[in-house]
Amino acid sequence: MTRVLREIMLVSAKDLRIEARSRQTLGLVAVLGVLIVVVLGLGLGPQQVKSGMAATAVLWVAYLFGGVLCFEKTMAVERHDGALAGLMLAPIDRGVIYAGKLISNLALMLALALIVTPVAVVMFGFDLSAAPLGFVAIMAGGFVGFAAIGTLFAAAVSSTQSQGGLLAVVVFPVSLPLVIVSTQMMMRLFGEGEPLGAVGLTVLIAFDAVYLVVSWLVFELILEP
Amino acid sequence: MIAITAESVTPLTDAEITTATPAVRMRGLSKRYDERWVLRDITLDVPTGSYLALLGANGAGKSTLLHTLAMLSPATRGELSLFGESAARPSPALRARLGMIGHQPMLYRDLSAIENLVFFGKLYDVSRPKQRAMDMLERVGLADRALSVVKTFSRGMVQRLSIARALMHAPELLLADEPFSGLDVPSVQAVSALLAELHADGKTVILTNHDVRQSLELAQRVVVLGRGRVVSDRRAQDANADEVTREVIG
Amino acid sequence: MNTVNKKVWTAYWLATAALFAAAVVMIFAWTPTEATMGTVQKVFYLHLPVAINTFLACLITFIASIGYLWQRRQVWDDLAVSSAKVAVLLCSVVLLTGMIWGHSAWGQWWTWSPRLTFSLVLWLLYVAYLVIRPSIESRQRRALVSAVYGVVAFLDVPLVYLSVKLMPDIHPSSIGLAPEMKMTLLFCFLPVTMLAVGLIAARYRLQRAETLSMQQADDPSSNMIAANPAGGFT
Repeated sequence: MTRVLREIMLVSAKDLRIEARSRQTLGLVAVLGVLIVVVLGLGLGPQQVKSGMAATAVLWVAYLFGGVLCFEKTMAVERHDGALAGLMLAPIDRGVIYAGKLISNLALMLALALIVTPVAVVMFGFDLSAAPLGFVAIMAGGFVGFAAIGTLFAAAVSSTQSQGGLLAVVVFPVSLPLVIVSTQMMMRLFGEGEPLGAVGLTVLIAFDAVYLVVSWLVFELILEP
Repeated sequence: MIAITAESVTPLTDAEITTATPAVRMRGLSKRYDERWVLRDITLDVPTGSYLALLGANGAGKSTLLHTLAMLSPATRGELSLFGESAARPSPALRARLGMIGHQPMLYRDLSAIENLVFFGKLYDVSRPKQRAMDMLERVGLADRALSVVKTFSRGMVQRLSIARALMHAPELLLADEPFSGLDVPSVQAVSALLAELHADGKTVILTNHDVRQSLELAQRVVVLGRGRVVSDRRAQDANADEVTREVIG
Repeated sequence: MNTVNKKVWTAYWLATAALFAAAVVMIFAWTPTEATMGTVQKVFYLHLPVAINTFLACLITFIASIGYLWQRRQVWDDLAVSSAKVAVLLCSVVLLTGMIWGHSAWGQWWTWSPRLTFSLVLWLLYVAYLVIRPSIESRQRRALVSAVYGVVAFLDVPLVYLSVKLMPDIHPSSIGLAPEMKMTLLFCFLPVTMLAVGLIAARYRLQRAETLSMQQADDPSSNMIAANPAGGFT
């Protein structure tokens, strides 16, 4: 078990080192996220913005688009110069490659959220202090499921040439249940002031489990050098 | 830099070769992409310690066969075993006995030479990976560029680093897919010397190549593929270059 | 196609058409009109069978997708895309009849009610399946991505269903039906299912023919000499 964990961390640490060196993805994704928040803020106008609830929807849009870019970039690293074949030759399970990529993607998305969320909270006057832990729990649940599915499809779709927008069209529809659940939970939490129920969280965790298991199983079948 | 040339190596005698367990055993190996068979019924034994060149026109199935041997994609039909172990569900230990130099370098261009080698070394659980990486860089003549990022390397340097990556874990079987393509003359010599050195060490080497004369010089045995089938299988010393070329053209 | 097949095929479509005609007669002449909704309620006899058949088509896509991942044969991809096309068509009917219902019941064409949202998300899922395909040039990669999508999308359906349950609901959860209404509803399943199956089969045959001609065109090892009337420079 510890061996598998070490291998997973090895794969993902390598991704993060590459990202730290090239600083391609995070800069791009953060600016995109902030732009989305600003554009939607301008489009909705002062009255709509001050209602407060718009912030969660706006954040989801920023996370979805930013996340898809992260998935594309972390997989492009492997596609370049056939590095993926090098990983596949190595004496590690295919699941290790999946888990490593998933962790890299989650790390990037977390960094994105840390930049974009404060911007949206300030611009949309969103009162996060009402239930900060609930917010984090719901978003974390959403991220895991979204990244699970995104990591799978990035591996399936990706080839060396950029497939602009394709991954988004593939990943967004299948992620809709996550968006519906988390926005409904946010509305209850912040709109109606209901505390975060065990039922809602269980549904979210169950969704994550389904996405993780399916992606992990299918990943092995589709991985091609 | 190593100065061994192919000629200075004493190949194993026939007796030595036949008594060893075959490194690769293919029985009726076939592979289908869609409805099209790219490998058809390939039956070959590659004895441990031998040096084999796969020849064939583009699309003959050389690279596909090498990918299948590397267990990167499964065969549709037939049996493949490496060192006596079935490749259908390869164990990590079996994968660790195999190294590959691909058409592409399989390196991370944003990492330095040493970082690349250490990363792959750790994947293979090589002991003291940093030391081993430095030794390998020394062997391929890149020690002075250890800290440079791969994207600053020339084609020849990348290919040499790629060989160092493939040899980090001292594989017993090396598969090389067109290892000389796109290299200048000194690099070709350096790479072929490295392969010869491996062979001299008793490792098994299988390479694909499109240069018939070069293959006859380097390898002990040449197998020509055509349309996914084995067209001919000869000892290199008995083969006539013109005849083999005719078979390659088909 | 041989003549026997052709005859069976014609008979199948004639039977489907006849059953449809019978269903229409049953709906309008025999079944009583519902008290509160009036004539609009009759759209329900189409709505439910089509909805069930949408699932059937999605299920076929799912099974074919697994088949492709398992065997990597183009036939599975052809079947998957054929039934996905029919699924989108049927789901469009479900959405439209649902909207007609909603308009007469609540006076609005669209409400974010759980069931309408469910149909909409289902529709989007399979429309996306169809639109991503042309943007992937390699036939094998297209089939692979589609197969993965076909599997994930189908498993997504229950998740969508669960997630919309969290939304506030104004939909009737169960509708009391007179015995004649139940009979009519059951009868309507017959022509609708036959139509769905027939459409998938027809679409599949077309798809197969298309694939086979494509395969011949880009397979250099086939014995057919690629037609090159202009005498290109190759």
